[in-house]
Amino acid sequence: MTEYQLLIQRYDPEHDNEPRLQRFTVPGDHTTSMLDALLYVQQKLDVTLGLRWSCRMAICGSCGVMVNGIPKLGCKTFLRDYHSEIVIEPLAHFAVEKDLIVDMTQFLAHLSAIKPYLINDYSGTAMHKQTPAQLAKYQQFSNCINCGLCYSACPQFGLNPEFLGPAAITLAQRYNLDSRDNGKAARMPQLNGKNGAWGCTFVGFCSDVCPKQLDPAAAVNQAKVESAKDFIISMFKP
Amino acid sequence: MNTPVSARKPYQSKLSRSWWLKHNYYRLYMLREATVLPLLFFIGCLLYGLYCLTQDAAHWQSFQTFMQQGWVIALNLLAFAASLFHAKTFFALFPRVMPLAPAWLMISGQWLATLLVAAGVLLLFGGWL
Repeated sequence: MTEYQLLIQRYDPEHDNEPRLQRFTVPGDHTTSMLDALLYVQQKLDVTLGLRWSCRMAICGSCGVMVNGIPKLGCKTFLRDYHSEIVIEPLAHFAVEKDLIVDMTQFLAHLSAIKPYLINDYSGTAMHKQTPAQLAKYQQFSNCINCGLCYSACPQFGLNPEFLGPAAITLAQRYNLDSRDNGKAARMPQLNGKNGAWGCTFVGFCSDVCPKQLDPAAAVNQAKVESAKDFIISMFKP
Repeated sequence: MNTPVSARKPYQSKLSRSWWLKHNYYRLYMLREATVLPLLFFIGCLLYGLYCLTQDAAHWQSFQTFMQQGWVIALNLLAFAASLFHAKTFFALFPRVMPLAPAWLMISGQWLATLLVAAGVLLLFGGWL
């Protein structure tokens, strides 16, 4: 067992006006994740520490935090990879409710704004078949776990919270590319707007931090191509 | 009956002007965007040259003297390096935006096209054709 120094950002809305850092010493070996360390703090050192978590296996997307300034899933980040003090803060660009818990209302509103479901007039009971090639077109973009790390990596979202952001635009692309979907016309007004795909300047850090390697930056910039095509086609329509 | 009072007081931090200095990734991004600055100088030189070309021989001579100054050559070399760096980042991003072929093929294809065009322009204006 090695001892690690954690500096955890604390914020108690009932007593604090702004967040502060608090130092904790936690034991860890080569299997201890950042989430394990945070739970150790909560269970053994300070029961008031607020954090979000659920599955511990990088699928629920709940335990996103900033580790030394970089958005990470707590359960997928290990103490063994850090050799000095580890600063753990809540996800950047979101409002902090308490300690490491952020308000994700805006993020969820952006997700639902792009109509993330199949839109078609299909009402039969037979299976809706799809070829492997049709599946491959959108499959990569369908692996999002809505953890919000890409929003914390995106300075454009930090500057303008109205920007739809990487995950929402990726999700729009995911449905627009699905052969079973006919809802593209309903999604394009969102993507075409100044808070849509064009709000992105291809910083690209979102793709770097994505725990599922979706490459959201590619999806957003593919959406720009779609948006440009949509604009040109609309010029020739009465 | 008392109405419960919400204890919510979300803390929203503001993104500082120096956000891009905080991470290597952001610094590299800003460097990519800043490559346009030395290119502006190069375009200024180009326009000045075109203007002098439409005037008399004395103007053209003064343009050539201007271009041979050390600091002008240094700034233009900087613009050349900046455009090569920008091309490198652009060529790497392009296959992600328009995945038409395997990324390595698209990246090497773009460099090959750049080399061919550059060689053509050199041959044409270098007086070898």
